[in-house]
Amino acid sequence: MTGLTSVPEEPRPTEAPRPADTYLLEARALSYRYGDHVALDSLDLRVAPGEIYCLLGPNGAGKTTTINLFLGFLEPASGSAWVAGRDVATAPLETKQYLAYIPEQVMLYRNLTGLENLEYFAALAGKSSIGRAGLREILQDAGLQPDAVDRRVSGYSKGMRQKVGIAIAMAKEATTLLLDEPTSGLDPKASNEFSELLGRMRERGVAVLMATHDLFRAKQTGTRVGIMRRGRLVAERETAELAHADLERVYLEHMGSDGGTI
Amino acid sequence: MRFRHHVRHEWRLLRADRLLTATLGLFAVLFLYALLNGSAWVRFQEDTLGALAEARDERDARTRAELRRIASGGQPSSPFRDPRAPNVLGSQRNSRPAALPPGPLATLAIGQSDLLPFYYDVSIYTNDQTFLQNGEVENPLHLLVGRFDLAFVLVYLLPLLVLALSYNVLSGERERGTLPMTLAQPVSARSTLGVKLVFRVIVVLFLALGVSVVGGLATGVRDVGRLALWSTIVTSYAIFWLGLATWVNSRGRSSAWNATVLVGAWLLLVVVFPAAVNVAAGLLHPLPSRVEMITVQREASNEAVNRRSELLARYLEDHPEMSGAVVSEASSSAALAWAATEEVNRRLGEVVERYQGRLEEQRRLIGTYRYASPALLAHDALLETAGTGDGRFSRFEAQVRGFAQELKDFFVPAILAGDRMTEAVVADIPSFRYREAGFQTVVGRIVPALAALLAMTLLVSVPGWRAMRDVRGTS
Repeated sequence: MTGLTSVPEEPRPTEAPRPADTYLLEARALSYRYGDHVALDSLDLRVAPGEIYCLLGPNGAGKTTTINLFLGFLEPASGSAWVAGRDVATAPLETKQYLAYIPEQVMLYRNLTGLENLEYFAALAGKSSIGRAGLREILQDAGLQPDAVDRRVSGYSKGMRQKVGIAIAMAKEATTLLLDEPTSGLDPKASNEFSELLGRMRERGVAVLMATHDLFRAKQTGTRVGIMRRGRLVAERETAELAHADLERVYLEHMGSDGGTI
Repeated sequence: MRFRHHVRHEWRLLRADRLLTATLGLFAVLFLYALLNGSAWVRFQEDTLGALAEARDERDARTRAELRRIASGGQPSSPFRDPRAPNVLGSQRNSRPAALPPGPLATLAIGQSDLLPFYYDVSIYTNDQTFLQNGEVENPLHLLVGRFDLAFVLVYLLPLLVLALSYNVLSGERERGTLPMTLAQPVSARSTLGVKLVFRVIVVLFLALGVSVVGGLATGVRDVGRLALWSTIVTSYAIFWLGLATWVNSRGRSSAWNATVLVGAWLLLVVVFPAAVNVAAGLLHPLPSRVEMITVQREASNEAVNRRSELLARYLEDHPEMSGAVVSEASSSAALAWAATEEVNRRLGEVVERYQGRLEEQRRLIGTYRYASPALLAHDALLETAGTGDGRFSRFEAQVRGFAQELKDFFVPAILAGDRMTEAVVADIPSFRYREAGFQTVVGRIVPALAALLAMTLLVSVPGWRAMRDVRGTS
């Protein structure tokens, strides 16, 4: 468990100091409550460009709540969420220019084709100047087969819809990607393809925050992992410094009696 | 994002939805059928009025010919139908038609023109009963839903189309899961949903106004001002229903809940409430029975015949200007008959006055309560604009009453004086021409309804619109 630390007991020792505005995602003492239930408790988190930060934790740990707070779908009880140096609460539309969101199930307009869906979401993101040829190319770059581009989404698999989701992020030229259990339910091949896509986006300097249960994928894809339990970030570490077995052990240690699923 | 991109997206969604496409197609067929129905009814009216004018011309020609023949020493075809007698020339046999031409937008709204008479045969014997026997004994609200015309489709069925297109504008996005994907983009929920709602009302209005304006112009409507007024009413009415759908959507409930509430509102506002007002009007202000009226007329008629001389004396007391006209015994028979007629009219007038009072009370009640139903308001305004509503028929009736009086003024002095009519007189007999109400008058009648519709629209839209601001990508 070398180098593994719990937060907030210790600061991030291996993290090189950065100016605050170089982080694309930042949570500052971010909290959220569902009635009396504390869903997120003083979360401090930073994701820099080119970093894939994987949030691990059982159901109800606060992973999706964190993502929803960054998207402005929820209003924090206290603290703040920052995207590209802008407070989500005060500049909700501006921050979304930098964000792309891929939920567990990418839900698209079933009666439209993949291209028509991309055309719409790209236009919503202010990228209507990309022509149909350009969008077609983006879909293929995202891994969608050429013959699927003009087919209705109702016939798409989950993996194909994820690729359209990635294509939306690419068309939008998002600098920050929020992923909520993106590989859940994907077959290994589709999961690998998805990881490769993420790798390519990382190389372009995109900051990724991914909520996942999949320790293997987190270790393989992520540059850093954070373990959440009952709304708190209880551990955080660079993946390069961990063997897969270490990550699994630490995860289970931090889950304690919660018995979180892996 | 530009509006046109939204429109293209919404159009694609609409086109891809077979059920909605079929619904739009069905409504297009209904609109066209209603327009054709209206057009056929107007043609029927025009043919009827044409035949009426032709019959009058033929009758006048026959009368002139007979008067010419008698002047040349011939005999009347019947001693009882001597056209030289003013009470014969002014009688029902030689009645003058008083016709109401089809309303300016009659092809769009048949309205009450198939229930209320659009022509009368007017003579010196025209009295209150002439008007009552022409259908008015019906409660006015029974006349509200007439033939299957465009006004009917617009008022009763158009809301269903608006609701079918917009009941799930927010809930559908949430249920399909596309709302988070949409709201993860740099757009506000309110503007995105607003564009969706506007697109839907544009589709509905494109269909409704397209058929109204193009169809109206194609079927001979030339009154552009009234067409504009018609379009304003239809637009306001459609926006009311869209506003209601906005408010229901803003509650954040499921599509099924939205559909149930909106169809319930349609039932209440379009079907139940108008029917309830109908029942209330009948219960609170019942009309006197028609049997009573007929009995009074018979009794008055018998009594008047028995008291002719006395009645003539009283008639001349009441009309001193006529007393110098009774010059000979020969004319006394017609004069006595006329006095009896006037007595019958007087007696009948008492019952009719009671009836008219009740009818007026019913109309007042309906006029007040229509402000609680956008359907009643819109229907009333559309018929008034089209010239097939209550208002135009009332004006027509008033003008016909005036015309009947004109005929009496023309013939009665001659009856009392025992004058003989000649061929030259025929050309001088008054004729009827309906004087259409000015556009300003129509606008003046419609403005309160439009203002009420606007107020209702604001009442339902504003809270919904405000609530849309708080829509988030997650529930």
